[in-house]
Amino acid sequence: MTDLLNNLILGFSVALTPMNLLYCFIGASLGTLIGVLPGIGPIGTIAMLLPATFALPPVSALIMLAGIYYGAQYGGSTTAILVNLPGESSSVVTCLDGYAMARQGRAGPALAIAALGSLFAGCVGTLLIVLFGPPLAELALKFAAPEYTSLMILGLVCAAVLAHGSLINAFGMVILGLLLGLVGTDVYSGMARFTFGIWALNDGIGFVVVAMGLFGFAEIISSLEQKEKRELFTSKVAGLWPTRADLKASWGAIMRGTAVGSILGLVPGSGPIICSFASYTVEKRLAKEPGRFGKGAIEGVAGPESANNAAAQTTFIPMLTLGIPGTATMALMLGALMIHGIPPGPQVMTQHPELFWGLIASMWLGNLILVLLNLPLIGIWVRVLTIPYRFLYPAILLFSCVGIYSLSNNSLDVILAALFGLLGYLFIKLGCEPAPLLLGFILGPLMEQNLRRALLISRGDPTIFLTRAMSLAFLLLAALMLFLMIAPTVRRRREEVLHE
Amino acid sequence: MKRMLSAWRLVLAVALLTIPGGSALAQTYPAKTIKIVVPFAPGGISDVLARVLGQKLNESWGQPVVIENRPGAGTTIAADFVVKSPPDGYTLYFIDITTHAINASLYRKLPYDSIRDFSPVMLVTSTPLMLVLHPSVPAKSVKELIALAKSKPGQLNIAHSGLGTITHLTGEMFKSTVGVDMVNIPYTGSAPATTAVLSGEAAMIFSTMPPAMTHTKAGKLRAMAVTTPKRVAAAPDVPTMIEAGVPGFESVLWNGILMPPKTPKGIIDKINSEMRRILQMPDVKERFFAQGGEISAGAPEQLAAHLKSEIEKWGKIIKASGARAD
Repeated sequence: MTDLLNNLILGFSVALTPMNLLYCFIGASLGTLIGVLPGIGPIGTIAMLLPATFALPPVSALIMLAGIYYGAQYGGSTTAILVNLPGESSSVVTCLDGYAMARQGRAGPALAIAALGSLFAGCVGTLLIVLFGPPLAELALKFAAPEYTSLMILGLVCAAVLAHGSLINAFGMVILGLLLGLVGTDVYSGMARFTFGIWALNDGIGFVVVAMGLFGFAEIISSLEQKEKRELFTSKVAGLWPTRADLKASWGAIMRGTAVGSILGLVPGSGPIICSFASYTVEKRLAKEPGRFGKGAIEGVAGPESANNAAAQTTFIPMLTLGIPGTATMALMLGALMIHGIPPGPQVMTQHPELFWGLIASMWLGNLILVLLNLPLIGIWVRVLTIPYRFLYPAILLFSCVGIYSLSNNSLDVILAALFGLLGYLFIKLGCEPAPLLLGFILGPLMEQNLRRALLISRGDPTIFLTRAMSLAFLLLAALMLFLMIAPTVRRRREEVLHE
Repeated sequence: MKRMLSAWRLVLAVALLTIPGGSALAQTYPAKTIKIVVPFAPGGISDVLARVLGQKLNESWGQPVVIENRPGAGTTIAADFVVKSPPDGYTLYFIDITTHAINASLYRKLPYDSIRDFSPVMLVTSTPLMLVLHPSVPAKSVKELIALAKSKPGQLNIAHSGLGTITHLTGEMFKSTVGVDMVNIPYTGSAPATTAVLSGEAAMIFSTMPPAMTHTKAGKLRAMAVTTPKRVAAAPDVPTMIEAGVPGFESVLWNGILMPPKTPKGIIDKINSEMRRILQMPDVKERFFAQGGEISAGAPEQLAAHLKSEIEKWGKIIKASGARAD
């Protein structure tokens, strides 16, 4: 215990030097800014700033880069809530209830709860790293292809939970998303699928392109159509702070979201979006009135926001302790460490304790700085909503297009986003929901890859999914969820038949 | 009258200024932003190396140097872009073995010719791959591994980072050279592939140096051999594949710089000598070394010859393995 205390003291002494505090602040602010701006994300920014950090000592460089990463999580939720534009891929889920709250004039409470939930989750995440770092990372290694496949199947089944309309509608959207996710080159045979000979599609359609189009652009088109209703919403801004009822409703969601995010963040390849979506599912399942979700339930903002911030902290664990990067951004941080001459692995904790503990201490400080930064800004953000829409939407469009283009310097991406915007508008008119599509889009290809990999490893034996404990657990859970979803319909049908 | 004369003088002056002259260009070069096209997403090894070089170039020439990431379609999109760029010396193309040597044979039809449509500038670095094994595999040397694989055909799994990547093709080269039957397990990228070997899902991988060094030092993976003809300074106790008993086995991951076709020789030489100077700087050397690589700055002709031989060598292996990307 004293060991831990000594380490923490060492960490804080490193993190609290004026220079490191400055870098933490710069990183966090920059992260928030790029989180707000659509398109460009933490990975691009970190890559761009990497050479600039060469002159800095490794600790300061890492502190700043890490600040950019988790700062982006905070920033992404701002645009998601205000204008239904997911600034970061992980904030897509926040769009659902966050934007609904904004339309009811409750953008302030939504933003505040997102920030506070993220702070709590960040603190817990940091604590977890401190207490359980290496053993947790070992757990992440237990995930192999069969477990991933079953987890993805569970995710696909739960995707229908995201919808609050007809079940068939939701599953249809999931399958459509799956089909869209198939576009690209097959990992196993090298054949191009659904690319129609367009080279740029060989790597598939980008997630940001689909998300921005379906959520952001479609919303703009739809809002332009309902001009009168739009103005009503922006003029009605209720208080800036969450009410006591809000806090009471959210604290459970925040706890659960943190738990979900911390655990799922460890799994390599899961990414913050899966964590926030899982939290949303949990909240909707546990709510007394699931019908409120999608119409401004504050739990739908509190849970996912906590989850994705907790995940942002715990993704560092496998990277720092074992040298295994769980996401592309972590791989980049790994590269940054190597370039600074520090090969990551279990020996980082023992050979460079000031780096390890300094980074952890600064992550906690960074979360604090972010909340102090973001809370006062809420008033300004809410004022943004009162800008006349005819000025607001061209600005949004411009920033979005620039952001999308900046991803791969390819204009096809912008055109695709526009097409998805049209598609999203069609969906709004038809009453179809884009969220299940997005999930099918992400989870479908992942499931396919892992399914084929699992079968390749087992040499074609399908029982591998049932003989491995975690995989079996996920599959049973998926079957249960499916049953719970269909059962009410079945019961109703039976009652109808009985009545006759 | 005077006004007309001065007007004519102005026209004449402007006309003279716009006459393009190769040597004149080289004298005033560089006069504006230089663009380094990187055919990978930000964050990969090649991208980071390109950024190091770009920053140093900016410091020595005083002109802004911009890194333009154009990932996609296995780097063919970036290549196509470079081919169509003007040969004025302001577009550099930072490549690695995949973009040219491998793609030339992997894709049945490319919109450019890998040798004719580019002007080689220099070979920048060479890094080996390292064969690493999961500790549970009962083989302490490459010879033991080959014997084990021969006794268990079709049972060992070898991971790789994607069809047509150097890790995949090196594995194919190994299998065909020593005559063993192992099952390829593809992953999307070297990080998931290495993680798979760490967890034991696959038995081995021909890994790039950074993750290999990390995990072998930590004892999580067993280093078997490096794939360069000579031992590397980053891992002096690891034998080469040739020493370990596989004669003639060589697979080097290299990075190079190319430029659009018909770039004037003066500009190419200028960039070549400047890059050579940069690569001798101790801090640059240190950063490259951290990736396990060795600087091999040479003349443009060296890259041209190397490209040719690599395309031939990997072309044979690709054909034998049947891999294709379209």
